[in-house]
Amino acid sequence: MDFIRESFQTSLTLILALDRDVVSAVWTSVSVAVWSIILASLIGIPLGLTIAIGNFPLKRWVITSLNTLMAMPTVVIGLVVYGIISRQGPLGGFGLLFTPSAMIVGQTVLAIPIVANYTLSSIKGADQRILPTALTLGASPLQSVFQLIREVRFGIMAAVIAGFGRVISEVGVAMMLGGNIQGYTRTMTTAIALETSKGEFAFGLALGGILMTVALMVNLILNFMQQR
Amino acid sequence: MNAQLLLTSVQKCYGNKIGLELKKLALWPGRLYILTGPNGSGKSTLLNILALLTKPERGELMYAGERITWKSRELSLLRKKVTLMHQSPYLFAGTVSDNVAFGLKARGVSGEELRRSVAESLAMVGLDSFEERNVTQLSGGEARRVALARALAAKPELLLLDEPLAHVDKESAEVIEKLIASLPARGTTVVMSTHDQHQNDRLGGEMIQLHGGRLEQPFGLVDNLDTSECKVNGAPLCPALKMHIA
Repeated sequence: MDFIRESFQTSLTLILALDRDVVSAVWTSVSVAVWSIILASLIGIPLGLTIAIGNFPLKRWVITSLNTLMAMPTVVIGLVVYGIISRQGPLGGFGLLFTPSAMIVGQTVLAIPIVANYTLSSIKGADQRILPTALTLGASPLQSVFQLIREVRFGIMAAVIAGFGRVISEVGVAMMLGGNIQGYTRTMTTAIALETSKGEFAFGLALGGILMTVALMVNLILNFMQQR
Repeated sequence: MNAQLLLTSVQKCYGNKIGLELKKLALWPGRLYILTGPNGSGKSTLLNILALLTKPERGELMYAGERITWKSRELSLLRKKVTLMHQSPYLFAGTVSDNVAFGLKARGVSGEELRRSVAESLAMVGLDSFEERNVTQLSGGEARRVALARALAAKPELLLLDEPLAHVDKESAEVIEKLIASLPARGTTVVMSTHDQHQNDRLGGEMIQLHGGRLEQPFGLVDNLDTSECKVNGAPLCPALKMHIA
């Protein structure tokens, strides 16, 4: 028990002292996750909308694929993106590997199915009269879709929250595509994995606490936006 | 004069079942039509087709003499002239004012004109002071009146009402009925579906009777008969039922 108590004390000291490594890992985690969720939302929300309200061949197959992609292990996504952006890959010329940009690409891929699927579910669960009502009141198809989004905004916000939770807490993509480079691509999760493996339990615990605090703060902000 | 909306050889199926099959149906401007028929007779299907929300599998629709091609841009323009109030109208989340303003905003109305139109429409349904009330605080009858105000705000040429008086309290029913009866005089064509056979006596509209997805032909009328000479229970038969030989 002393061991855990000491770890808590050390973690508090690290947080209060604004330890450079801790701050760097927090900043990298949050910035990469925020960019990833913005990109994933820009792609995933229209994708979910299109699948939900569109009628096209293989629709069921697309939904099944989307469900499958939600369960995709982060290391598999990391591996696939690694193959694409590594020097031998088709996008190797951009020199993205082991940069925050590579992590953003990987985490965006990770979050898109989550955002799209939650969006799809929220629209499927929405009142079926929304679109016809908007249309018959003279709204254009685009205006009607915007009204639909407005009506299901809580569900879409939940999609974004779920996607953010997934990307900020993942290790595989950040490790494989970022390379866990100290002060550059080291995130809270990769730092926790590394420090714990080195026996630096307190440092790992401090980062774990911060990770939870950041997740709590982001969710509070998003919940506040939901209430408005 | 062209019919406001003319349907020719229209058919809509649900699987193997025919939901609606009409040879010819013409709606003339500034009239009030009462659409009746038992459950499943095709009333809602017809209203959805008239509202250009449902495309029939077969047949042709003409609006003011122009053939409807069902292209997206054309539909957007026509839907600004035709408005349907559903049987259980959906009110968008927000205030009464937000809802009534919706169709106006879609038509680019803003500022003082928007505020004035919203206020006028709410006054028409007797809900003058309800502008800032949240729609969650409305009774069923009030919600129906808000939906009617919302539909009227945009001043449609053709107003379609799917059982507007179903499950409505007496006070709201009187307000809605009086308002509906006054609309043709203002130039709005109204098609209203109902189960209440006596409603036509009060409103003085022209009857369209559907049965099994088809127009009923009381007294053994045939398709090519000039309906202007026909009487149904002593009242002239609806010009909407003018059936011509294609």
